[in-house]
Amino acid sequence: MKEWLYNSIAAKMTLLVLGGSFFVLSAVLSYSYYYSRGIILAETELAAKNLTLSVAGRIEQEFRALEKLPKGVAQYLECNPGDKSTLTKFVQRVVSDNGEIFGSAVAFEPDAFEKGIKAYCPYYFKGPKGLRFEQLTNPSYNYFCKDWYHIPKVLKAPGWSEPYFDEGGADIIMCTYSVPFFEMTERRDQVRGVVTADISLEWLTKLLSSLDVTHGGFCFIISDTGIFVTNPRPELIMRESMFSLAEERNDPQLRTVGKAMLRNDSGFVEIGPSLTGRNAFLAYARIPSPGWSLAAVFPRDEIFAEVQRLYVATILLAVVGVAMLLGVSILVARSMAQPLRAMVVAAGRVAQGELEIDLSHIRSRDEIGRLAAAFTSMTAGLKERDRIRDTFGRYLTKEVVNKLLESKDGLKLGGEGREITMIMSDLRGFTALTSNMTPEEVISFLNRYLGKMVEILVEYHGIVDEIIGDGILAFFGAPEPLEDHPARGVACALKMQAGMEEINALHEAEGLPRLEMSVAVNTGHVVVGNIGSEKRAKYGAVGSEVNFTGRMESFAVGGQVLVSARTYERLKDILDVRNVLHVEMKGVSGKVALYDVRGIRGPYNVAVPDRSDSLVPLKEKIPVAIHRVDKKIVTGAQKIAWFVEASSVSGKLAVPEELRRWEDLRIVLLDAEQHPTGGELYAKVVSVEATAEGSLATVRFTSVSTAAAKALKEAMDLGSRRGRP
Amino acid sequence: MRKTTLLVLTIFVLSVWGTGYAADFRKASLLPQWVPQAQFAGYMVALRKGFYRDAGIDLTLLRGGPENPPFKKLAGGEATFCTGWLSNGIQERASGTPVVNIAQIIRRSALMLVARKSSGILQPQDLNSKKVGLWAEHFYLAPAVFFKKFDLTVQIIPNHTSVFLFLRGGVDATAAMWYNEYHTILNSGLDQDELTVFFLKDYGIKFPEDGLYCLEQTFKEDPEFCRRFVDASLRGWLYAVEHEEEALDIVMKCAEDAHTGTNRAHQRWMLRRMRDLITPEGGPSSLGKLDPAAYDAVGKMLVDFSYIDRVPKFEDFSRGAR
Repeated sequence: MKEWLYNSIAAKMTLLVLGGSFFVLSAVLSYSYYYSRGIILAETELAAKNLTLSVAGRIEQEFRALEKLPKGVAQYLECNPGDKSTLTKFVQRVVSDNGEIFGSAVAFEPDAFEKGIKAYCPYYFKGPKGLRFEQLTNPSYNYFCKDWYHIPKVLKAPGWSEPYFDEGGADIIMCTYSVPFFEMTERRDQVRGVVTADISLEWLTKLLSSLDVTHGGFCFIISDTGIFVTNPRPELIMRESMFSLAEERNDPQLRTVGKAMLRNDSGFVEIGPSLTGRNAFLAYARIPSPGWSLAAVFPRDEIFAEVQRLYVATILLAVVGVAMLLGVSILVARSMAQPLRAMVVAAGRVAQGELEIDLSHIRSRDEIGRLAAAFTSMTAGLKERDRIRDTFGRYLTKEVVNKLLESKDGLKLGGEGREITMIMSDLRGFTALTSNMTPEEVISFLNRYLGKMVEILVEYHGIVDEIIGDGILAFFGAPEPLEDHPARGVACALKMQAGMEEINALHEAEGLPRLEMSVAVNTGHVVVGNIGSEKRAKYGAVGSEVNFTGRMESFAVGGQVLVSARTYERLKDILDVRNVLHVEMKGVSGKVALYDVRGIRGPYNVAVPDRSDSLVPLKEKIPVAIHRVDKKIVTGAQKIAWFVEASSVSGKLAVPEELRRWEDLRIVLLDAEQHPTGGELYAKVVSVEATAEGSLATVRFTSVSTAAAKALKEAMDLGSRRGRP
Repeated sequence: MRKTTLLVLTIFVLSVWGTGYAADFRKASLLPQWVPQAQFAGYMVALRKGFYRDAGIDLTLLRGGPENPPFKKLAGGEATFCTGWLSNGIQERASGTPVVNIAQIIRRSALMLVARKSSGILQPQDLNSKKVGLWAEHFYLAPAVFFKKFDLTVQIIPNHTSVFLFLRGGVDATAAMWYNEYHTILNSGLDQDELTVFFLKDYGIKFPEDGLYCLEQTFKEDPEFCRRFVDASLRGWLYAVEHEEEALDIVMKCAEDAHTGTNRAHQRWMLRRMRDLITPEGGPSSLGKLDPAAYDAVGKMLVDFSYIDRVPKFEDFSRGAR
């Protein structure tokens, strides 16, 4: 499950949608629920307060009206001592004329009615069979001890008694309003007696039960000590109080509510189930005359029943909505996850190196579609990169390719100063040779040659800087620093020369002309780095030493490896030097020493075989036409000259005019009639001797056509046979 | 034949057992000094649970109240036993009614004076020149000793049945029984911390209250019968305090019958306070015993207040377990 959750975007999205909508919905629902509850509660509170205040007001009015009657009697008795018959009649009228009054008495202090009468209390009340009279002076009913008499007497103020169960008359719960009256003195401090009016609490109960509070709600009254005066549950009346219920139910809050009801004029509170068995709201208002409190109870669940119903409906709707949302989100998530999974598989395959990825089934045009498209184009890019890497790999070492492709800064333009060893090679007479070849021949020729050379360069960790036609500029010691770059350079150059033998063997087998390569090796300080523009750049080297190497190379003849003095200085102990040339170089003062190296010892240990180069005097001079070649272009008129001596790689020409040393020549072999025989070769003038007829120039062949090679070999064979019997 | 024998034997055994039982079964009545409430739970429970019957007593529990003064009824032969305060018992004895104490149930004073803190009464001295509601007669004794002890002059307002005079503000302080009126005050919406309470027993006033009494003649004729009555009553008390709910059911039933308009919470409080009062220091073995020192103290009090001239001899008065 956990795995599934972590691994699946569909699961995450679904969960997110579910969680999010659940959160939002519950927030909205809670808010609306509490808000609507708040409104209802406020309305209920208002209605409840109004109800209790109006009912309490009504009861208060009734009490006030009742109070007037005994007060009137008391006033009368304060002005008039009262005789028995008048008093009795008066009391009788009070009871008979007032339906609300259950009974009325006038109780006197001892000796207050008449001297010698210790107790006098005429009492009229409504018995089951009509109005009844009684003197409340029997010994078992000592009215002086009764609260209705004693308390107003002590307080010297009228007041309502607690409700009490009257066993005397009609077995009813009643309540007595007592008004003390005083002796007819100025100070009104001597209580003469008490006038009472009893009321049955039945009418209160009826009044309250007629009130439609709300479904399940009801009203009740408590006395000023918290005792229930009325309550829909008759067993509570007079027996229990708010406080006894609080104690029995162990509900301190109910006690607090009871106290508040006795001490405050009105209020609205929430109560627990102690009173009604359910949580409820209770509004109360004081009935000031008796000091009682009227309360209306509203069961909480009834009040909120409507909200509850609405809430349940809303929750059901929300659940259905969320379920639908869930379905949709699963669909959406799947439609997103499926192409993503396909791409995961594809990416895995790409990681395995398989770039033939088909994501065409992902047709959407959204971000995922674009991602798929980007992925496809990325694999295309990777294919392209691989192709480039493959291509470059032929010319660059892995290190450079990696550095360029993988390093973040690898492709930054810019360079660094570095001492490197560079080699420059060139095929002697190649340009001239190509003029007689088909383009296909030129390319296959070059590919074979360059392929071999690059292979050797890579083997020695050389970096191919440039290949221009048949010329190669390569260096060692950058970008990867190589401690032994001079040795590598020289060894590589020698190996390349050796490689030429292989190529020439193949060429000869195919009837192609033999080629000679010259190589120059130089060590010096250059700048290496990415050279070029953003669009086209290469890792290469620049500096005067590069140019110097090029110039050095122009002094080299085929098969030669010329090493500069700086390179030589580094390696002189292990180099096998055949010859030292001292040449004048443009821009360089004095002679420049160039070392013709044939081998290197030490770890690389490469040598090229010393080719037989001894000139053989020719018995029959071979006429040739020579053309001066300047910068690989054949210029100047053809001159007639003769090979007087020759070897496989060089020859001695008798020229009727002056030739300069290091001049390049195109030499076309002629027959006796001075017509071209088809054989031709290219050569460099390596030394010139002035003679009477002109000059005698030693030339080193750089390129010899097959026909020319054959002709020269025949001439040499003839000469040597003759020369060596 | 065998069947007939068995039947005859059964009838014989039953009749002998029945008459034998009836022969030991003595009728008696008990009059408590006040209306039915948990103050008398022990007797109600003993009756209902059959403890008196077990003791061979066919007891009638009379209804007490202000109209039934217990010693008067006892003297008049309307009750075999009654409950009453020790001070009342001593006074009756001293004035010639031949009553004897056969058990002292409440062995210390449950009387207290209660005042509102808001009336400025925080210590006994604060009662000086205040209005104090007191019940008449013997209820007056212990508070009077208390006032004397602190040299207080108070304005005494007679109090009758209820504490409403106090609740209505007619008096500054009122006498209250710990097990009864004090709880009524609490359950009229006044909290304990709003009240100042002086327990008279806390001020060294020895004043045992409810005891069981009978006429000396009753005791002399059948001390064993009186002893059985006391034992069954004490058994009732022990059962009542140990089985609170059951006892309250019984008490509430009696109270309902008498229309006293009480409630269970109030009776529960009362029963618990009775438990505190009847099982004082000394453990269960001292249950029902009258302490001679307390007897002397109460007797002296009665002499001091001229209720009696002379304290009756303890040995004549107390016939219960000592």
